[in-house]
Amino acid sequence: MALSGIQIYKLLPQTNCKECGFPTCLAFAMKLAAKQVELSACPYVTEAAQKQLAESAAPPIRLVTLKAAGGEAKAGNEVVMFRHEKTFYNRPGLFVRVKASEGAEAIGKKVAEADAYKVNYVGLDFTLDGFAVEADGGDFAGAVKAVRGASKRPLILIGKDPAALEPGLQALTGETPLLYAANASNWEAMADLAKKYTAALVVSGETPDALADLTQKIQAKGVEDMVLDPGGKNMSQMLTAWTQLRRLALKSNFRPLGYPIIAFPCDAKDEGVAAAQAIAKYAGFVVLSEFKPEAIYPLLVLRQNIYTDPQKPIQVTPGIYEINQPKPESPVLVTTNFSITYFAVANEVEGSGLPAWLVVCDAEGMSVLTAWAAGKFDAERIAKTIKGFDVASKVSKKRIVLPGHVAVLSGELEAELPDWEIKVGPREAVDIPAFYKQVLM
Amino acid sequence: MPIEIPKDKWPGSIRKVTLGATAAEGGTRAKTVTVGGQATMPYLHFEAPTPNQPVVAIEIKSRKPEDWSPLLAEVWGEAMADPAKWAKAAEAAGADLIVLALTLADTPDDAVKAVKSVLGATGLPVIVWGPGQAEKDNELLVPVAEAAKGEKLVLGLCEDKNYRTIVATAMANGHLIQCRTPMDVNLAKQLNILITDMGLPADRILMDPTTGALGYGIEYGYSVMERLRLAALQGDSMTQMPLIVTPGFEAWKAKESKVGEGVPAAWGNWKERAVHWETLTAAALMESGADILILRHPESVKRIKAAISELVTA
Amino acid sequence: MTNHTITFTLADSKTVTVQARTGSLLSEAARQAGVEIGQPCGGQGRCGRCLVQVTAGPVRRRSTLRLANEDIQQGFALACQTVIEGDAAVFVPPQEKIERRLTTDRVAAEVSVPAGYEYSHAQTVRRVHLTLKSPSMDDQTDDWSRLQTALRTQLGINDTGISLGLMQKISAILREGEWRVTAILATMNPETPETSPTRIVALQPGHVDEYSPLWGIAVDIGTTTVSLWLVDLVSGQARAQVAEYNGQIARGEDVISRIVYAGKDGGADEMRSLVLGTINGLLETACKRVKASPQEVVKAAISGNSTMIHLLLGIPAGNIRLSPFITAVNHPPLLTGIETGLAIATDAIVDCLPGVASYVGADITAGVLSSGLNNAEEVTLFLDVGTNGETVLGNRDWLVTCACSAGPAFEGAGVIHGMRATAGAIEEVWINSETYEPGLRVIGGGKPKGICGSGLISLLAEMLLTGILDKGGNVALTVNSKRVREGDHGPEYVVVWGAETETGQDIVISHVDVDNLMRAKAAIYAGFTMLAQQVDFKLEDVHKILIGGSFGKYINVEKAVQIGLLPDVPWERFEFLGNTSVRGAYYALLDWRERENIRQIASRMTYIELSADNTFYDAFMSAMFLPHTDMDKFPSVSAALNKSS
Ligand code: SF4
Ligand code: FES
Repeated sequence: MALSGIQIYKLLPQTNCKECGFPTCLAFAMKLAAKQVELSACPYVTEAAQKQLAESAAPPIRLVTLKAAGGEAKAGNEVVMFRHEKTFYNRPGLFVRVKASEGAEAIGKKVAEADAYKVNYVGLDFTLDGFAVEADGGDFAGAVKAVRGASKRPLILIGKDPAALEPGLQALTGETPLLYAANASNWEAMADLAKKYTAALVVSGETPDALADLTQKIQAKGVEDMVLDPGGKNMSQMLTAWTQLRRLALKSNFRPLGYPIIAFPCDAKDEGVAAAQAIAKYAGFVVLSEFKPEAIYPLLVLRQNIYTDPQKPIQVTPGIYEINQPKPESPVLVTTNFSITYFAVANEVEGSGLPAWLVVCDAEGMSVLTAWAAGKFDAERIAKTIKGFDVASKVSKKRIVLPGHVAVLSGELEAELPDWEIKVGPREAVDIPAFYKQVLM
Repeated sequence: MPIEIPKDKWPGSIRKVTLGATAAEGGTRAKTVTVGGQATMPYLHFEAPTPNQPVVAIEIKSRKPEDWSPLLAEVWGEAMADPAKWAKAAEAAGADLIVLALTLADTPDDAVKAVKSVLGATGLPVIVWGPGQAEKDNELLVPVAEAAKGEKLVLGLCEDKNYRTIVATAMANGHLIQCRTPMDVNLAKQLNILITDMGLPADRILMDPTTGALGYGIEYGYSVMERLRLAALQGDSMTQMPLIVTPGFEAWKAKESKVGEGVPAAWGNWKERAVHWETLTAAALMESGADILILRHPESVKRIKAAISELVTA
Repeated sequence: MTNHTITFTLADSKTVTVQARTGSLLSEAARQAGVEIGQPCGGQGRCGRCLVQVTAGPVRRRSTLRLANEDIQQGFALACQTVIEGDAAVFVPPQEKIERRLTTDRVAAEVSVPAGYEYSHAQTVRRVHLTLKSPSMDDQTDDWSRLQTALRTQLGINDTGISLGLMQKISAILREGEWRVTAILATMNPETPETSPTRIVALQPGHVDEYSPLWGIAVDIGTTTVSLWLVDLVSGQARAQVAEYNGQIARGEDVISRIVYAGKDGGADEMRSLVLGTINGLLETACKRVKASPQEVVKAAISGNSTMIHLLLGIPAGNIRLSPFITAVNHPPLLTGIETGLAIATDAIVDCLPGVASYVGADITAGVLSSGLNNAEEVTLFLDVGTNGETVLGNRDWLVTCACSAGPAFEGAGVIHGMRATAGAIEEVWINSETYEPGLRVIGGGKPKGICGSGLISLLAEMLLTGILDKGGNVALTVNSKRVREGDHGPEYVVVWGAETETGQDIVISHVDVDNLMRAKAAIYAGFTMLAQQVDFKLEDVHKILIGGSFGKYINVEKAVQIGLLPDVPWERFEFLGNTSVRGAYYALLDWRERENIRQIASRMTYIELSADNTFYDAFMSAMFLPHTDMDKFPSVSAALNKSS
């Protein structure tokens, strides 16, 4: 179990010598608890304390990293059941499945297309994370080579028979692929394979007991990187299994099940919905049946959304928002990109039925007062936003309404935007409609 | 020794709320719809059963909307010009509930007429939204509430700025309300407290915490819903209202659904993408505890209903 | 109906006798007798203000709310709730006694000289008498050497410094006293007095009476209020205590506005002279009271938040507000009167106490010292209910602290009819739940001028309990009273009609005021709940809650809990300390060891930045409700609300 700041503090020397770079031992302890510093920064920790701290720092869900020349796919290291409790850390890898029976040529073509896929979402480039190759008869080694010919991304090799998988592994030297899957009957051979080729290994079992039994046996054989496949015939069973495994790892701190989970929406009735569930509910690797941009793009976006850090303030995208179909003579209202602030203003104006241009400045997601206090919402920034979004081209009457809380900025803003009329609006959003009617009409 | 599965034993549960009233109950609905009653996080049957499954509503408008995506115009066609026909089509498409959104152009008489025609055309319970401006909402919803007295409509959107009038008329005429707050756990709860303090029974409130579309802030709504659900289960009576969300409205605002031209090729096929957008938005909200999902496209309705029925079978 | 004889004894031992009938109330009998018993809650048995002591005779208490069992045993009773059943003798205690009896009232402890204070050991300044040999043609030693020689031979002091200003006066002073002189010396490093250099801070001709006062000042520069104590360093007594709004308020209510203003052309100089004006004004008032001259003040200990200290010293404060929030100096070196611009002795020692960080200044380190938190065995919470909402949690092993911008509302600023806790301020309000008529208590007893912090707290609580406010802080215009009306700033409640006020204007509290107060209390509540959460400590487990702030002498903790400013824990855990910052400065002024303790507190206090993520915002939003969005955290308030509705 993770220790709290105070608990860690009790293990430190408590001399406040400042050598770690923090003003007090408690400050250092709290950073340690938040995993933002290394224990080694304090030269004076006793050995006993070191041991205790190391134990508490071990992640309850093991970090498993698949490696290939073209990148890595990480899963695990998660610490919460719900994203608001802290955050979800490692975005689940999305893998597209090909089958050996499709033949090398078809595979090569399909993979090349999928591998090249790149889509931009709010300035971030997203791609797929890798491919799963299924040994369903035919030339498995040839299939793996065909994939490798078209993509350098990490791979998952799927098959029941260890002998059939080995030729595929041989084609992937120097990589860490994921082997699927060890079960009650083949686990020894699979474990040997995983060890020999430094692969991570999926463990399949219908119940937590079956899974834990296997992971313990496999670990005893020297394989550390494992991934769990609890099966499940429908969305309900999968949700139950994934939730139980995550709870056992996090709440019961049950090490034999402290591994990431793999999900197969490719076999579900509605692949999109099933994949959405897998992303939201704890999968570390997600295998999809085919590559279709219109289906992949929403999943990539959903994954990004669910895995953003919820501790960061909620923001809206800076820009000009049109409210109630503004006309060129409508006023320009300015506010920050903190979502609650934005909503408060936008809702008031919208509700009043009065048309306006609402210019949202990038104030790093802070409210008007906080942003102003921190120097993130000043005349310079507002002027830059007004110019940057070319607000002047949309209006005939150059009139800006500043939030009343930053009335002090009006002088400086006049200097920055000499041909604009600067008006100071009310402090609170609720008073905007009345202000609008009295002053702006 | 078998592994012991950690189970949460919650002191609280979601409040049961029934929408619509049959003739026997003082209304004219063919059947009523009950949501709520869950005593676990969504669909965890190993802890407790799901007594009432989430339902899907289809949103229609009192007048043909000009700003809806052509993809929606294509599927609803002529029906969009007539709320009664549209409601029938929605029922045929699998809706459990009808949401009738009034518009700014409606007079109180128009509003009453539209609501009556929808009530006449379908036996499903009906949710009526004002056009979203406090004064206009009050102007339209009060006569609607009076004209449909006893139907157990849901009146919306009841917000911080307009709740007093809407709550008063809901109380006087036996309706429910859809209570909307901007993506914040505390604001949601505060409005519920103020409204129940006015005297409206808690089992006549549906809670709408506002949800963004996929790619447009869905994560905030998602987490707010999870937090509200957790608080409810922990026994906080002012967060135990069932959750009503608007993935259709949100998703179809998004560029990804609304338009087919001038967008990146990497977005793929427009029609399929648009439906995915709405469906996945709804799917995520379904996982985070939605009780009523309001959608627009029949294809999304079909997919979400199928997913719900998969999720509610133990 | 039988008549009974009721004898009232007043505080000044005067007695009044009246006849009263069986079943009538003591309060009615008192009125007949012309005995003044205030009934702020209108005789509803809620406020406990009409407390009297029945020393003999049969009475029946309808309600004993606000009374402890031992009070009842001693005969205490609420006049408005006590029925006469026979001849009785009743003592009417003075107001102050009542405050100390009521379980909900907290009165700041009187300041007393720290036990065992000995000027000769604790002080860094001292007064010495020197007798110099007069010069002659045989002994043409210069005046300064002559003085140094006397210090060396008579006191064993080798290393003495002096300013040019004083040097210019030496010759005249020595001769005026005919070579007998009184020197005020300051030890610059009191921990090692033998080796420490000494400075002469003042010289006076002749031998001044060694027990006559030696003046020092302890100052707290609050963002909103500046407090100054004039202290006799010899006896240790604070002889005058004065306070005034900080003159900088006109340039912004919070530290951020001040910093921004100071960053403008000429802004820093203006800020500096504004605060100096306030301090020097207070200095003059205080000195007048004891018939001293400001020039006689030889030592100052100054506390205040980091921004205030920067602005006082004219040090640029701009980086305080910008990430990563770095001060120019947390602990300024010893300065002199003339350098700082204080109107005290030119060479007086000015000691600005050490702070911790941009948002945790000397006011808090000094506050911790004076609250004793640094020595507490159990985990204790210290709240400064002021503009910057500083909070400290901890005990003698660890201390964590945070600050959150609460604004000046509880100091009476930023509220239309708010004022400081001085004569004319309404410090307590009770509202009758049927008539909505208020009962008031005014500091000094005269006509009200405005409402101070404690008054605002009780007003808000009473408005909530009587339904004038809903839990969202909205004034319910539906309430049937002409006191509730639509005003210039939205809906408002009239606390006092113009006819009864000092100014002739209505004293009101508006929707905007309520909002400001709610923000202030929400910020403070969110601050300490977050702080506790950061160190995994449950608030209900805190042993004691120490409250500091400019509330005057009095605060009603029940009311503060009802609005959700303070947590709903048993009342006995609350202690009210008054202005802890100036008190800490006072201790540091008197005793160098306390000064050293403050330095140590500063070095071991851990500052926690709350604005780093949105959990603070969340906590703030949930506290933006009356008393709180999470009513389960306020069971006693829920119960009171249920009872009143
Ligand atoms: S280096 Fe170690 S002993 Fe020194 S302050 Fe940091 S944590 Fe404390
Ligand atoms: S309790 Fe007697 S007057 Fe208030």
